Amino acid sequence: MKEGGKLSLFREWQLAVPLALAFAALFLAPLLLLVGVSFYNDEKITQPGFASWLKFYGDPFNYKVIGDTLLLGAKTVCTTVLIGYPLALVYLDLSARLQKVLLFVIVMPLLLSVVVRTFAWIVVLGREGVVNSVLMGLGVISEPLKLLQTELGLVISLTQIEMPLMLLPLISVMSRLDPNLRDASAALGASRWRTLFTVIVPLSMPGLIAGCLLVFASSTTAFISQTVIGGVRLIYLPLVIWQQSLVVYHWPLAAVASLSLVVSVLSVVAALSWAGRRSGGYVNG
Amino acid sequence: MGRRRSFGDVSYGLLIGGLALLAVTIIVAPVVIVLMTSFTEGQALKFPPKGFSLGWYEQLFDPVKSRQIHKTAGNSLWIAAFSTLFGVVLATLAALGLGRSRSRLARVADSLFMSPLVLPGITFGLAALVYFSLLGFRPSIELMIAGHLIVTMPFILRTTTASLSQLDPALLDSSQSLGASWLYTLRRVTLPLIAPGIAAGAFLAFMASIDNVPVSLFLSNARTDTLPIRMWGMMESTLDVRVAAVSGVLIAAAFVLMLIMEWTVGLTRRMRD
Amino acid sequence: MFTRRSLLAGATALGGASLLPGLAHAKGSLIATTYPGSWEDAYRAIVAPMLKKQADIDLELAPLFAMDQIGKVKAARGAPPFDAFLLDPGPRIVAIEGGLFEKFDPKKLTNLPKIPEGFADEHGVCVSAQVVGIAYNPKKLPAPKGWTDLLKDPWVSRLGLTGFQTTFGTSSIIEIGKQFGGTLTNPEPALVELNKVLPKVAAVGLPAAMPGLFQQGQCDVMFTNTQTVATLKGKGVDIEFVKPESGAIAFYTTMHIAKGTAEAENAYKYFDLVIGKEVQTALTPAPYNFLPVNKDVPLTPDMPMKSLDEMAKYINHDWAQINPLRAGWIEKFNKEMAK
Repeated sequence: MKEGGKLSLFREWQLAVPLALAFAALFLAPLLLLVGVSFYNDEKITQPGFASWLKFYGDPFNYKVIGDTLLLGAKTVCTTVLIGYPLALVYLDLSARLQKVLLFVIVMPLLLSVVVRTFAWIVVLGREGVVNSVLMGLGVISEPLKLLQTELGLVISLTQIEMPLMLLPLISVMSRLDPNLRDASAALGASRWRTLFTVIVPLSMPGLIAGCLLVFASSTTAFISQTVIGGVRLIYLPLVIWQQSLVVYHWPLAAVASLSLVVSVLSVVAALSWAGRRSGGYVNG
Repeated sequence: MGRRRSFGDVSYGLLIGGLALLAVTIIVAPVVIVLMTSFTEGQALKFPPKGFSLGWYEQLFDPVKSRQIHKTAGNSLWIAAFSTLFGVVLATLAALGLGRSRSRLARVADSLFMSPLVLPGITFGLAALVYFSLLGFRPSIELMIAGHLIVTMPFILRTTTASLSQLDPALLDSSQSLGASWLYTLRRVTLPLIAPGIAAGAFLAFMASIDNVPVSLFLSNARTDTLPIRMWGMMESTLDVRVAAVSGVLIAAAFVLMLIMEWTVGLTRRMRD
Repeated sequence: MFTRRSLLAGATALGGASLLPGLAHAKGSLIATTYPGSWEDAYRAIVAPMLKKQADIDLELAPLFAMDQIGKVKAARGAPPFDAFLLDPGPRIVAIEGGLFEKFDPKKLTNLPKIPEGFADEHGVCVSAQVVGIAYNPKKLPAPKGWTDLLKDPWVSRLGLTGFQTTFGTSSIIEIGKQFGGTLTNPEPALVELNKVLPKVAAVGLPAAMPGLFQQGQCDVMFTNTQTVATLKGKGVDIEFVKPESGAIAFYTTMHIAKGTAEAENAYKYFDLVIGKEVQTALTPAPYNFLPVNKDVPLTPDMPMKSLDEMAKYINHDWAQINPLRAGWIEKFNKEMAK
């Protein structure tokens, strides 16, 4: 690469310069500015100071909001693992042809607009929606259940909306596992449960953690789903950011809230990926 | 293996199979249900839908009644097309520049370029709004393209870098040792080989732009509104059944596009790997 | 596979597609705000096509509540994101104090003689009036008599609530508060009473979401304006309007030109069309039921009043007193309603 063709001044890395410039102007500069704006006290952005940070973190309500946001991510991760992991296991046992079909089914929702997927859950969870009309038709309930505007309904919806993000890395790692390992474990008399927990789960840990990471990051920031399905009584950080920036127009406070979102979500993500690297090392070593 | 099926194995099959079935149902059912409701005769989104009619689709394609939806769909396509086009050029160049470099700086640059994928979209959207407003720009389609470029480009960079790393270096070396210039090698050897990777990334970026909410939410105005923002507005206020019809069209489009991409560039394989 | 030619062909096809009107600006174009829901529906269906036909102006409607419009313009710092406002009395005062309007010249309206005196001034022009009260589903609930019924069974468990972000929300909560000893400037008693019954309340939503929640049956009683009731009725929803015993709330709705816009002339044409006989006649009957301001257009029998002279008999809130307190109320409501 050093000789780099005929032009003596040309180096291959210079091809990345246009993108780097675009990133500096359109990505880094706005984010740095956002950090700067958070250190202003007033809506008009004239008095520098720490008042916005103090105001945001002086209010116990905001701690609850941050906690609820992270908790929502954790709950969604749990449900996607609970039903996504078995699906990945089943995927491994399928024929190549069926695997292709299933992969298509999994990827399909990912290409479908989040707005469409959210809308689908309104139809499913509504008072006169699918779940209620089926349950009432079967006589299981006499009064419609309240599912929209509840955290339960939101977690169910996010489970579907985020599922592909869990399954893709999981399937990617699992299908690289040596099938002989499972057979060997079975031949040695281990039950399928034992094989699952002593062989498959540890070996698929990197994929599982990658999936958790993506689902967590995506569900904690899923503004549309959170507001449309959760309603305004369930307050998460994205709603606070939206209200402060596009309803109240207090940009310094909105900046504080969104930086808090970045820091809290990314620190969980970083912790998870650290754990992922450790477990990867443990398995390989 | 002629082992007797123990209780443990049966419970394994039932539980794992049951949960997997639940997962498939949860993934597929809402999509099917939206499709079904979009053919309702009624005014409201109820299930089971009342009767069968194409009325909502007729309304959706009516140029007068649904002018706003058509316009926002046009905006979405326009923004997605241009942000993808610029993304393809910038990301392919960057991938060629950094893809085979092992230097520390190249790694840092690569993770920087990928970071919009992890950064909460709403944070970047707000940052872009504050930035452009303080610079004195009015909302415009160009700003929307710029914003979408940042958040969708990583998809192209990822697939392009991946297909570059699968290239046999010996191939390039032999081309150059035969006296071909760098540019000639690029045009005749490298690009044709990585084109499916670029195309897969471009497709993902295009779809991500069409789907984007956080950036559009902050950067758009009434003239540059995109389809998802408009649909969100309809969902939030009047809850028109046309939302179901739009969804039906988008479902069909995503389905067809995915089939095409699967046949031409093996999309799911690339997403899995 | 992507070749340069196919890309170019694709881009040309996209550019030429009829899907992309408006990108190349039409000769006349105007971005005007409107309220989400019934206003948006009506203006998209009636006003926008008429303005295109009569003045060749493309009307882009930005659905925003009054407070949101003010916030958006203030945040834009002199480069208004839209050309014309649609406002209620409270936000109108805020905007006048903030100098957000171009000076308005009523004489430019050809329909000026058709509207009552005083309906157009140096700030803008009045285009309709709104009446706010209670809407309920007669198939599910008996008719509520007044505001206090909303907090009692059977209504409370089917109640849909929204906060102080809108004029109708603010006015309604003030009126609820008054029934429990509150005043115009102190809706606190309403919040105290609401808090007591909160676990029973069917839905709390963003103001724009209320009609949708009602339509889906997520709630069966809410406070709202008469146009929303008419719009929902038009969609086949079972809904009726009730004037509370203590009186319904009424206020005028006005249009204004945003300071710094380049489209002021188009805004005048738009306003003139809106107060003209043709638009007012089209917006008066169901499913719109907009109270007409044009003297040539009679009110319909299903409207809450026979003529605009009755406005004085309704409850009118003094927004100059409410405005300074409202931001605090919004925040308080959001926090108290959070789970």
